[in-house]
Amino acid sequence: MSSQGYSALGFAGHELARASLDHCVKCTICETQCPVLAVTPLFSGPKFVGPQAERYRHGLSVDHSLDYCSSCGTCTLVCPQGVKIAELNSQARAVMKAGHMPLRDKLISQTVVMGKLMTPFAPIANAALNVGPIRSLVQGVIGIHKKAPMPKANSRTFMGWWKKHTPAQPATKGKLIFFHGCAGGYFEVDTSIKSVEVLEHLGYEVVVPKQGCCGLAQQSNGLYHEASANVVKLAKELQAAGDVTIISSSGSCTGMLKHEAHEIMGVTDPALADVGARVRDIMEFLLELDEAGELPHDFQPIKMTVPYHAPCQLKGQGMGLPALEVLKLIPGLTVVESGAACCGIAGTYGLKKEKFDVAQAVGKPLFDMIKATNPDYAICDTETCRWQLRKGTGATVDHPIALIHRSLGLS
Amino acid sequence: MSQVIVIGAGLSGLVAAIKSAEGGQQVTLISKGLGGLQLSQGTIDIHEQGLAGLESPAPHPYAAIGAENVLAGVKYLAKLLGPEFLVGDAKKNVYLPTAVGAIRPTALIPPSMAAGSVRDGAKWLIVGLRRLKDFNASLIAGNLSRLELPGGGSLSARALTIDVVAREGEVDSSALTFARAFDTPDFRQRLVAAIKPELQPGEAVGLPAILGVKQHDFWRELQASLGCEVFEIPLPPPSVPGMRLNEALTAKAKALGVRFVLGSYVSGFTAAGGKLVSVTVATTGAPQEFKADKFIYAPGGFESGALAMDSHYEITEKVFGLPLHGVAPVEELILPDYWDEQPVFKVGVSVDKQMRPLDAAGKPVYANLHAIGGIIGGAIRWKEKSGEGIALGSAWAATEGSENV
Ligand SMILES: Cc1cc2nc3c(=O)[nH]c(=O)nc-3n(C[C@H](O)[C@H](O)[C@H](O)COP(=O)(O)OP(=O)(O)OC[C@H]3O[C@@H](n4cnc5c(N)ncnc54)[C@H](O)[C@@H]3O)c2cc1C
Ligand code: SF4
Ligand code: SF4
Repeated sequence: MSSQGYSALGFAGHELARASLDHCVKCTICETQCPVLAVTPLFSGPKFVGPQAERYRHGLSVDHSLDYCSSCGTCTLVCPQGVKIAELNSQARAVMKAGHMPLRDKLISQTVVMGKLMTPFAPIANAALNVGPIRSLVQGVIGIHKKAPMPKANSRTFMGWWKKHTPAQPATKGKLIFFHGCAGGYFEVDTSIKSVEVLEHLGYEVVVPKQGCCGLAQQSNGLYHEASANVVKLAKELQAAGDVTIISSSGSCTGMLKHEAHEIMGVTDPALADVGARVRDIMEFLLELDEAGELPHDFQPIKMTVPYHAPCQLKGQGMGLPALEVLKLIPGLTVVESGAACCGIAGTYGLKKEKFDVAQAVGKPLFDMIKATNPDYAICDTETCRWQLRKGTGATVDHPIALIHRSLGLS
Repeated sequence: MSQVIVIGAGLSGLVAAIKSAEGGQQVTLISKGLGGLQLSQGTIDIHEQGLAGLESPAPHPYAAIGAENVLAGVKYLAKLLGPEFLVGDAKKNVYLPTAVGAIRPTALIPPSMAAGSVRDGAKWLIVGLRRLKDFNASLIAGNLSRLELPGGGSLSARALTIDVVAREGEVDSSALTFARAFDTPDFRQRLVAAIKPELQPGEAVGLPAILGVKQHDFWRELQASLGCEVFEIPLPPPSVPGMRLNEALTAKAKALGVRFVLGSYVSGFTAAGGKLVSVTVATTGAPQEFKADKFIYAPGGFESGALAMDSHYEITEKVFGLPLHGVAPVEELILPDYWDEQPVFKVGVSVDKQMRPLDAAGKPVYANLHAIGGIIGGAIRWKEKSGEGIALGSAWAATEGSENV
């Protein structure tokens, strides 16, 4: 396992993603959809820094603007030739930054540590993070922009709730493993709780094994060694909980398990391959149930028009937008898809002081869309995107499971 | 479960998905990536020979599709999008200038290109932007002025190159960056200010096709400000006029409830009793089976990877292993002179009237599999300018008629 972590950077820049390089026909489709290129001349675009520059790299960077790629994955998603552009870019960036990683990138990628540290002091942390001078200090010392959206620390953790929790009804169906992810464990606790309650309401027995971090934030900051070790450890923890479907309401961590760790860092551990094939986004799972005719349609009406933003890391899983399909089952509800490629935050990208303005510009059309569609309430499947949207719009932004929860009469 | 699964998001796939959804069917559209519309000129080509081309004999795709289906498909698209997007007459070609100053025949065009339809005695000012490298005004104006027009006569064109900046700090902006800038009033004012003093009476202004992405009727405002006719000349990709069509059609499909599964390719299938049961989609994590009653396969041709030639010059259709028409030894398919007709581009599937791929005995391979657009063999679409006509005609034929519902 650890040898894999060490070799991860060596893997970067060749193998899987590199093999797709020659498929590029220079059609420019990726360039037209890249949300960063659309708002700044500082970045030379996916085709340029991806398949084009990769040819000349030989381990060295040929274009430092690469650092402006947010790793949103939009380019890979739209490329009609199957070129792994975003993966190539992530790998090249990791190589470019290896050895001179800013302290900030190491810190904000430690999601478990941040969560654990902040939970007991939640009210103080929240207050402190909202105080301008303190944030200025943070910006000056470690480079997180003083206006960047930060998670609201929660005074309870998901595990704290889970330990005291008993299901409202006995299970009538099989067992499911719940994977909450760091943000779902420490910050977006409500989403995790509602997910479990919906699954139990549907009759499933939910188990929650002790679980660490998937390493996504480390991976997107180029810390492949740490990220590879974390994701394999997590895969083994989830594997130990049983050979059944794994459900997560953390859209981006699901993507890490399904494909990113393998495609970007070359992790080949069998535990990851096994878990990656079994993990389902919760809305994806509900859609599968519905397609199989196993989802009861006893949804109560919710009269509302809701903007929905599908996060880039969810779209990158290539499964379409399951939330959009499932929410169609709620009578009275009109869901309007944002159509935006990315909200700008792209994990931890939009927190960084030199990227903050770019990230805000990327998010602007989406913020405007939300304000025009329903200024009070929006939905979105991943945590950091919700922080970005809340900050950018002032609206309450929930995971789509919140509407299912409400429509089932659970809240 | 969907009733109809469409594979591919090019012109043919999008139109087939929209038409099926309009007919009340539950539709899922699965596509590896965006389709080829953004690489097109944003015009609807039917045939360089106009109506006569529609009568092309077999194995040309038009023989199976039928002229009436081509015209019906084109009419359907024109109605779907309306005159804000497409104008013209499917039965009559016009000639439009290209980005190298040649002219090409096409049938339906965006209204923003209409004033650029060539005619004897026209006086044009071709305006280039210094920071847009794909559009050389002198080259275009020079070549256009030398042309003898199809109906006889000539036009006169002169060049003007101006430096209107799309965004500061960039010396080489893409057409799309310019088009996004054009969506802002400030850029349009600067553009008008740079052109107006140079304009001579009686001239029409030809600009690169950058006249807005989101809001694409600003060309009218430009005409009013300049006091003359204005037209767009399409550029090499990224094609802004193609993007407008792509975005409009995608929005229509979504509004009709078509489920999009983008970014995953169809890698296999299951079949029983002569019918397809499901297609296997290579979603991340684990592949998934998508079931439906009817499958419409719109994957394009070689250019989108639907057809592949291996190192032994063996050509295969990659998903269903469909029988291919036009296969021959490589020496007969790829000819040494670039300008030769290259028969390799005629390789593709043969179809019946409902666009179902046929086996060697002339029977449908699967009763519920239809193939449309560039995958159909028998034409060099880009050369004879029939790509959109084939895409639309086959999409119509595969979705129209009681036997297809
Ligand atoms: C360089 C070039 C120039 C051309 N110029 C002209 C011209 O001037 N005039 C003209 O009339 N025609 C021209 N053509 C032809 C014309 O563009 C095509 O005929 C037309 O776009 C075909 O559209 P389509 O819908 O069939 O496929 P495409 O637009 O190619 O779309 C295919 C779609 O299928 C998807 N796909 C493929 N395989 C799979 C799979 N296994 N699973 C899931 N999805 C898949 C792709 O991602 C893509 O979205 C040109 C073509 C090329 C390549
Ligand atoms: S979309 Fe794919 S094929 Fe087209 S330029 Fe980008 S990487 Fe190349
Ligand atoms: S990953 Fe996103 S930001 Fe990076 S090049 Fe691709 S589309 Fe642009």
